[in-house]
Order: sequence, then structure tokens, then C-alpha cells
Amino acid sequence: MTTVADMADGKIKGYFVMGENPTVGSMHGALQRKGLRQLEWLVVRDLSLVETAEFWRDAPEIERKEVAPEDIATEVFFFPCAAHTEKDGTFTNTQRLLQWHHKAVEPPGDARSELHFMFHLGRRLKDLYKDSTDAKDRPVQELAWDYPTKGPTGEPNAEAVLKEINGFFVADDQVVQSFTELKDDGSTATGCWAYSGCYAEGVNQTARKKPAGEQSWVAPEWGWAWPANRRILYNRASADPQGRPWSERKRYVWWNEDESRWEGHDAPDYIADRPPSYRPDEDARGIDTIAGTDPFMMQADGKGWLFAPSGLLDGPLPAHYEPQESVLENPLYRQQSNPARMEWKRRDNPYNRPFDDPRFPYVVTTYRLTEHHTAGGMSRWLSWLSELQPEMFCEVSPELARDRGLVNGEWATISTARGEIEARVLVTERMRPLKMKRRVIHQIGLPYHWGSKGLVKGDAANELISFVADPNTSIQESKALTANIAPGRRSR
Amino acid sequence: MAKGFFTDTTVCIGCKACEVACKQWNQLPDDGFVFTGMSYDNTVHLGASTWRHVSFIERPVPLAGQITGYGQFSWLMMSDVCKHCVKAGCLEACPTGAIVRTEFESVFVQQDVCNGCGYCVVACPFGVIDRREDDGRAWKCTLCYDRQKEGLVPACAKACPTESIQFGELDELKSKARERVEQLHARGMTDAYLYGADAAGQPGTEGLNAFFLLVDEPQVYNLPPAPTAPNKKIRASWASMAGAAAALGVAAVASVLSGRLSR
Repeated sequence: MTTVADMADGKIKGYFVMGENPTVGSMHGALQRKGLRQLEWLVVRDLSLVETAEFWRDAPEIERKEVAPEDIATEVFFFPCAAHTEKDGTFTNTQRLLQWHHKAVEPPGDARSELHFMFHLGRRLKDLYKDSTDAKDRPVQELAWDYPTKGPTGEPNAEAVLKEINGFFVADDQVVQSFTELKDDGSTATGCWAYSGCYAEGVNQTARKKPAGEQSWVAPEWGWAWPANRRILYNRASADPQGRPWSERKRYVWWNEDESRWEGHDAPDYIADRPPSYRPDEDARGIDTIAGTDPFMMQADGKGWLFAPSGLLDGPLPAHYEPQESVLENPLYRQQSNPARMEWKRRDNPYNRPFDDPRFPYVVTTYRLTEHHTAGGMSRWLSWLSELQPEMFCEVSPELARDRGLVNGEWATISTARGEIEARVLVTERMRPLKMKRRVIHQIGLPYHWGSKGLVKGDAANELISFVADPNTSIQESKALTANIAPGRRSR
Repeated sequence: MAKGFFTDTTVCIGCKACEVACKQWNQLPDDGFVFTGMSYDNTVHLGASTWRHVSFIERPVPLAGQITGYGQFSWLMMSDVCKHCVKAGCLEACPTGAIVRTEFESVFVQQDVCNGCGYCVVACPFGVIDRREDDGRAWKCTLCYDRQKEGLVPACAKACPTESIQFGELDELKSKARERVEQLHARGMTDAYLYGADAAGQPGTEGLNAFFLLVDEPQVYNLPPAPTAPNKKIRASWASMAGAAAALGVAAVASVLSGRLSR
């Protein structure tokens, strides 16, 4: 959001968009496109011409003739990209598991992998700068950018890149086995310390696919998890203070008294030889302060925290705040919304009133459907997925439909201070009016997968949503917001 | 070796992976892009180009044995498919021999023999088999005959993430299904029952090689309560026809006689 606001203010020249479709999948489509219009150049790499690549000729403000394509100076470069079946590489999912995928077929036509794009872009940049005598260009000139390539398209060897990310000893090019072998004296190098070990023993650990029946239920030999192939963090907590599993059935890691070490189905996330009986001295320092019964060793006191006096920007305890835009005054505290939230107070990002906005009396929330993939770049171009969810729709309760004259299967227009969208109406008892403070509160459910391109088209829910973010991670705060809904199609 | 499907609707999550896997393996066309307004169901029913179809049923009845915040409401999902009936109406109606029973006891349409007459379409008591508009031939689930020949599980069962669709030897599936019903009954889901698991329960089809576990009446899932292969009605049909012919004959004779009498 910060970057896009800077783009809209003309502070950013160029933007690479790879496998994302922010004008559909990110909040406030109009502001996203305003940012794109101020760029000198935009690079989009995707499977098809997604809305972000076509923002200059196919967008709501162009349909309304508020913006003319000939007035947009942004130079747009579209690169067709290889799908995951057409390139080697890893997936890293949110549980930290890296899983290698092998190329099954060559990508069609000019489609190339992101690795190919980045490598050859870097190679060409180095070529451009090779004769420069300017000191500021030395980082480019000195950059080691010499990955082996293969095949007629010069595809870089993805395993060589993974091996470099794993880390190696500079002197003899041998891989490090774990991040514990990394040094801060220049004798080792790594692309990312947390990934050290993914190429341990010179083997691509992420490509392991040992069947479930041939290993423990934790399956440590399926792919590789960062850090240290550890599947659950702080897993010492699976054992009681004496180091015995809390549950025999779910035994995970435990203290082996005979060998004086922690062991288990997973890599123990603990000091390997620290017995449960260990208690730190008064003058202990650093890791020595962690008692044998304290599993959370990344915390200063080794304990799991509910009361978090440091770290969180809106700590120390969780509290209930209403979202930026609500229908209600905060029923628990006088503080309406999170006081530490990030707001973008600017004319092109207007907010509805914090509560009781007479223009916008309903709650909206957005979500995904199983039939489509986020902003739709991988699903709206496929007939077998498109037929399953062919149009943008809004879900409302029978009560709200009655109040507002909405008819199942017909059109409705939903509006906020940012804009309006139209959607088919799906009346369902799954949406329930809520009774709060003796008021009936209606909710509108909006999936957000559609845009103006693809086999199936529809308005994007994100046209409605403002820039506002959570203070700790800058993640979108506007998952719930307020809006109005009326029968019929939007104005054109 | 009789093989088939046991579809346990109580664990279906409505992901439609079966529909997509079926279309991909069999390279079936889409059914058009039409928003129906019927819950999350936009392909509506089985047909020439949809051989697995997931129904979404929003009903004003809670699920037995469960307490939810939704009160008088539940959302049922059910992946429908060709039933591969033991007594198959389509097979019996086919005049060309295009529809055959395979070595896996499934009902299979040989596309190179089908002449598109459409007799099978009206003969199916479930409305499963249908003709494709472009080539006129009749199409339906093959129970992945080509995959079975290679020892593979049918595409839909392979893709199902919750094992709502189970494929296997029918005897095994049936005992598994009966155990599952008992288990559900013990948990308070007393309305769980098997649809089409044997000839006793469904005499009109003599049992289904693709049978289901349901928790409401068949009609709720758009299934007929007493499906019957047309041949089962033949005796009754001929009997009533014979009766009608006899009655007509009697009436004709009577009218002639009465005419003579009145002359």
C-alpha cells in the first residue's frame, strides 16, 4: 500500500508485477490503477493478459471516460510466463515446507520461467554496465551472476540457485550442512540463512518424496522445511517439564535420559543436550538463561507470551477494536479502532465514517471460493473452473433481500466511498442478520475473483475497499467494511 | 470383478474437484457460463458433458446429531454420477448394442457404435445419459473404463480430498458403507441411510453399482425415490394394453350387436 501510494504520487518510475494481479486482487483497484498510470514503465509477467497488464485500455475509469488511454504515458511490457509444470523450482507454503517440482513439459512459445527472466535481465544489465568507470556501478560489475544454463532457451539451472541459497564455504565451494556452520568472517556465503540445509550433503533435500508408509508420521523426508527441516517450531512444548511426551499417542520430541539428549520424530527445536533439570545461574547470559523447562527459546524468558510488553506495536494484550469502517460504536472500549493502525488519509482514499454512516448501513466482508484462485489469473481463463462459478455475485440474507428489494439471480449494486460494483444476487440463509445492541445488522458477502478479462467477467470486489493496514505486519485491515446495496446495475 | 463407487455425502465438502478431474481426464467441454442463483451449483445436473455433478442443497432442517449456530438450517453437498444400475434401462433400450456391460460390471457406451437414436435417454430412470448436441451421440460416465484397464482409480475418486467418493470392489464397498451408517447412527445422525446399495432396497434397478449414503429423502437430492428400469414395467404395460384391446373388442362387438338390434 505504501509503494502504491508513492506510485500514485509519482515517486516511483518502474514496477515489476510477477504472477500477481493487483488491480483485481489488492484493495482499492482505482488507486492501484492510478499508481500504474504514473509509472514510466510496468512489467507484467503472467499466464495471460490479466487486468493489471490491460489497466490502460480496460478499466472502470476508462469505461466511464474519466481517463483516456492516449493520456497514459506508462510503457507496459507483458511477458508470458511458464506455469509450475513448465519449470523446475520449489513451492514454499506457509507451513515453511519447500517442495521441489520438476519441469514436465517445455513452456509454449515465448513463455519463460521467472528464473530465466531474472537471470537474463541481470546478465544484460551487467553487460550494459561493463565499461562504466563510475564507482556507483561497481556493485553491478562485481556481482557474481554466472549460473549454468541449459537447453535452447538458456534456462538457468534451478538446482544451482538452490544450492547457492543453501550456502557454501567460499574456499572450496562445499555446501554448508546447516546455518550453524555459517560465519560472519567472509569464509561462508548464503542466499538466505533460514534455508541453509536445504541442500545439505550436496543433495536437493526439497526434492525428497519418500512415501508415508516408509517413514514416521511426521514425514521428515518429504520435502524440506526451514529452518533445519523442523516441521513444528518450539516443539519442546510437546513434552512435559520433565521431558516426557504429554501424550504417548502424539509423542513428538522427548528427552532421552540415557543419551542425555533431545530426540523425536521431528528435529527438536531446543538446545540438544540441555536436560529438563537445568536451571540457569543468577549471572547467566544469553542462551544460558533458558531453563530446561522453557520451550520458547527465541523469547527472552523462554516462555510463551500472552502479555507481550515488547515487539507488538499494539500490545501488550489483545483488545477488541472495530474495523476502520463499522456499523457500530465499539461496544467494549471507548477507543473505536486500533489506534496504531496505518491509515492513508488522502483524497483518493476516502473512508466511510467510523460508524453509523447513514450512506453505508451494511457490513461487507470479502472471501474466496474454491473454484477460483485469488485474482483469477490461473482460473478465469479455464473453462472447467469458469463454468463452476461464472459470475461475480453477492450473498445476502432473505431478510436483507426483502428490505432492499433484491431478487435472487438478478443484479445488485454495492457502493462505498471508493466506488461501486455490480453483482448477481444470491439470497441464502447462510448469511444471517446479527442482532447487536437491539439493532439488526445485515451482512453482504462478496467473493473477489472477477475482473474485466478472461472467459468469465465481473466487477472486482476490491474496487470497494480502502487502504488501511494493521500496524505489525501492514496487512490489509479492511476485510470487514461498510457499504450500501441497491437493486439494479451500476451507473455507466 | 464388480467394481463401483460408494459416495458418502456426509463428508462431501463441495469442492467440485471430482467434476473438474472428470472433465479433464475425459476432455469434456464446458456446459456454458451461466449463473443459476441456486446456491453454489452452476452446472445444475448430469448430462452429456457433465459426468460428475455436485449438488448444493440449502434446507431448513438441521443436521441430526449436530449442534450448530445455524438453527433450522443445513447445507448438504452430494456428488452425483451415473449409477451403473444392475438392471440398466439405457442398456436394455439400446437397439444397436452400443451400450454394453463391461468386465467391471459397469455400463459403458461404445461411441463408435452409438447411432444417436436417443432411446437410452428416455430409458434412464435417473435422467443421467444424454445426447451431445454437436454429434448427436449419447454420453455418460464410463466409470473411467480406460483408467480401470490400466489398474488406476477413476479420476473423480482419485481427486476427492475427503474420500467422499470411494472406488473399489462392490462387496467391500457395501460392507464399508453399512459400517459407516452404523457409525453415524451411533453418533446421532439417525437419518443416514444407503440409497441403492442392494436389490432389496431398490427393486426397480436391482441395485446400483454407484450407490450413495444420504441423510434426507432422495427427492431432496434430486434423486427418484423408486427408480425403475422401463423393462420392469413391461409386463404391466402389456397387461394393460391387452386389457385395453379386449375392452375395445368387446365395445366394438357390443356396438355392432346393439346397432343390429336397433335396426
